[in-house]
Amino acid sequence: MKGEASPAVELIKVSKSFDAVQAVRELSLTIRQGELLTLLGPSGCGKTTLLNMLAGFEVPSAGSIVIGGRDVTAVPPYRRNTGMVFQNYALFPHMNVFDNVAFGLRMRKMAKFEMARAVGHALEMVKLEGLASRRIRQLSGGQQQRVALARAIVIEPKVLLLDEPLSALDRNLRGAMQVELRELHERTGLTTLFVTHDQEEALGLSDRIVVMSRGEIQQVATPLELYRLPANGFVASFIGEINRLPPARCRTEGNDVVFEIAGGIVLRARKRNQPTIGAGQETHLFVRPEHLTLVEGDRPAPNRVSCRVTAHLYQGAYTLTRVDAGPLGNLQLRVLGGEVIAAAPIGSQIKISIDLDKAVILAG
Amino acid sequence: MIASARWRAAPARPRPFFLWLFLPSLAAALLFVAALCEVAQYAFRVFTPGSLEAGGFTLENFARLARPIYLSVLADTLLISLATALFTLLLSYPVAYAMVRAKSDFVRSLIMLLAVTPLFTGEIVRTYAWILVLGSNGFVNSVLKAAGLVNAPLTMLYTRFGVIVALVQFSMPVMIIILAAALAHVDRNCERAAANLGAGPAKVFRHVTLPLTLPGIVSGTVVIFAWTMSAFSTPQLVGGGKVLMISNLVYLQGLSSFNFPFAAVLSLLALAVAIGALGSMRPFVSRLERKAAVN
Amino acid sequence: MNAWLATRLSAGLFWSAVALILGYMTIPALVVLMTSVSPSELLEFPPSGFSLRWYERALTYPDFQGAFVNGLIVTAFASSLSLLIGSAFAYLVERYTFGGRVALEAILASPLIVPHFTTGFGFLLLGANLRIGQSYAVVVATHVLLTLPFVTRSVYVSLRNLDPALERAATNLGASPLQVLRRVTLPLLLPGMAGGWLVAAMLSLTEFTASLYVTAQRTQTLPVAMYTYVREYTDPTIAAISALLITFTTILMLIANRYLGLRRILAIDAH
Ligand SMILES: Nc1ncnc2c1ncn2[C@@H]1O[C@H](COP(=O)(O)OP(=O)(O)OP(=O)(O)O)[C@@H](O)[C@H]1O
Ligand SMILES: [Mg+2]
Repeated sequence: MKGEASPAVELIKVSKSFDAVQAVRELSLTIRQGELLTLLGPSGCGKTTLLNMLAGFEVPSAGSIVIGGRDVTAVPPYRRNTGMVFQNYALFPHMNVFDNVAFGLRMRKMAKFEMARAVGHALEMVKLEGLASRRIRQLSGGQQQRVALARAIVIEPKVLLLDEPLSALDRNLRGAMQVELRELHERTGLTTLFVTHDQEEALGLSDRIVVMSRGEIQQVATPLELYRLPANGFVASFIGEINRLPPARCRTEGNDVVFEIAGGIVLRARKRNQPTIGAGQETHLFVRPEHLTLVEGDRPAPNRVSCRVTAHLYQGAYTLTRVDAGPLGNLQLRVLGGEVIAAAPIGSQIKISIDLDKAVILAG
Repeated sequence: MIASARWRAAPARPRPFFLWLFLPSLAAALLFVAALCEVAQYAFRVFTPGSLEAGGFTLENFARLARPIYLSVLADTLLISLATALFTLLLSYPVAYAMVRAKSDFVRSLIMLLAVTPLFTGEIVRTYAWILVLGSNGFVNSVLKAAGLVNAPLTMLYTRFGVIVALVQFSMPVMIIILAAALAHVDRNCERAAANLGAGPAKVFRHVTLPLTLPGIVSGTVVIFAWTMSAFSTPQLVGGGKVLMISNLVYLQGLSSFNFPFAAVLSLLALAVAIGALGSMRPFVSRLERKAAVN
Repeated sequence: MNAWLATRLSAGLFWSAVALILGYMTIPALVVLMTSVSPSELLEFPPSGFSLRWYERALTYPDFQGAFVNGLIVTAFASSLSLLIGSAFAYLVERYTFGGRVALEAILASPLIVPHFTTGFGFLLLGANLRIGQSYAVVVATHVLLTLPFVTRSVYVSLRNLDPALERAATNLGASPLQVLRRVTLPLLLPGMAGGWLVAAMLSLTEFTASLYVTAQRTQTLPVAMYTYVREYTDPTIAAISALLITFTTILMLIANRYLGLRRILAIDAH
């Protein structure tokens, strides 16, 4: 392989079951030095369990965990040097901001003078200078969030673990904190594992994303790859909005691939370098709403389909328009602006074009 | 660097300080069991008058319970306990309600203080206070006489009435605490919803608040019943020997006649009644709680 | 208008009833206070004057002095032991599962149900059998068992309200189990433990029925001495002592309410 630096964290065939529930199944994962990796998946898919195993709060039923080249599977949580930010922050209510942040350093018996400097520096990093002597109860939600971050980064952990750290914040603050988290990550360069079930957060923040479902990894990829080339139907429909067309038979015709769908509909796409699509095979087509466009009048366009408008959902910058496309089922289009609402009223017949060159095509 | 996964049995969850936490509790439990076993074993021993040493095995002590005098004391005890529990409930509910629902913080704290402090002044102080209140030259009679309502003092001391009046006041703090806890857990929005649907205050109380606090009412009443069963100083001092409850018999038999075996039998009887009362409440309360959870 | 009047009227009735009931609960204490300053040896209302002679007698009566000291000794040991054992047990029950847990819980909660005279009688017999008679040890043991359920409950409620993430956070930051206990768990449990200890101390100080069985003249506590006095004399000396106890308790309750919150101590808001 490439001469990469040794990985920051390695999970090797890790499993965890609680009585009857198998929360994590034979999961293997490598986190690179300094990257911000996001664990994304629906509720109950085992994200917190995985994080807890990394921090040492849960012992894997099988498999091993390696952090910084050392097998820590049997190491107690307080000797692992992972910095965790809890969902509800878990700030110590009986200590002020300074003592909260200094806690980890005290446990490491750092000298007073050095400690004051390190805490000051960490508070500066999260923009909380001057609040060191505040009590926790006197802080806003966003400020508490920063204290929790400062407390975790000040110990310079081998890996920073964040369990849905932004979910308790309101929408605006969440956006601002995402930007700050990213900046903080650039500045500290800490290897970070970020857990969320908010895909926008994941797409915006991460170097790479791990999509999980039912205790198993579905795909590991950069946000761009994940959106463009989901590895399977689950990932395709979990990340962003997507239209799933009825199953199709495909064959090649010169430079084109032709898809025949029940109901006599035929769609075409340019041939692409995708070995999974073979002639005569059943395939599944997934098309993003932004790859469906309204066709005005009789202008020629690829893959024209007529359909009836059933609803408009105005979103500000764009409108989500739902249509009934007969044999293709219900589809959703993303149309810029809001003019479409007046131009194609509900119940009217319109024509749309499906851009299959950007579609996700998966073998059945 | 690590070529293959190593499979191993998960290490047991560490339980720091387990023994340190466990042993003192175990010791305390063993001590208590030992004390109760002492009572139990004395219940089966022969009483030798004039000697503290009990003799061999017998069931005689239990047979003695069937004598009319003891049966009537038992009946009296049950009657007094029942009356006390019911009156305590009636008087405690409004206080608990006011304590939980008063709008001002000050009023809530004041009620709390007035209602709960008697719990911590102790049996003897409270019982003695009732002697002062109920006596023939006591507070109530003085007030009544001054008001010209009676000529001769009313007899309240040394009657069941007096004993119950004192016992109810004893029991109220505990009942109020239990009821207040139940009331504090009633979701105010349930009551608001009922009011929103057109129920007046009385109907809200009858159809929402009361049913939701029913488990508290039942357990409070039974707890007070069981506690009153074991009241000693009140029947002893306010009853003055004219009102006898099991506790007074135990004292007479145990510490006056030194008939330890029979005192032991009576102790066990009181314990059995208390456990029986609490046990019979269990299924009832859990049924109520299930119902509240479903509705 | 009519509905408004009806609401007003029923609210007025309700609050008058509450006031009356609270009066019934409070009057005995007031009567004690009144009697304690009466100059007369016989009970009389209203008192014919003001005198502190019963206070003087109460404070100089040797039996009371001895019993007061005994009571303090017993209470100090019993409530502290109860705090230690009860806190440990609450932690055990909240955090660990182990064989026999349910049985242990039932036994240690049962002093609430077992009549005090049964408990007292049992410890009297146990002490006699162990040849330690009615010694301090037996009295203290009795009081520990009687107060244990209250401490356990108070600490248990505090533990339930403690966010387990706090302990995890400390562990994650490198605190060993002992350090977590010392720096996070114990400080956060302190109010609950203080409340439990206070309740235990008050109950131990005023416990009478069981103490009557397990104490001897040498080890008798204040309530036992007061009981003996009431049976022999009718003068208001007991009123004076009672008045002192009532005042002390009230002040203590005020302080406890201010700093610990009575609602929390009594677990009224607990789940
Ligand atoms: N201590 C436990 N005992 C039993 N089952 C558990 C325990 N912890 C987690 N589980 C189960 O394991 C599965 C994974 O839980 P986990 O908390 O890891 O999900 P999650 O991905 O973090 O979900 P969420 O996004 O809702 O936080 C769930 O089915 C859950 O019920
Ligand atoms: Mg989770």
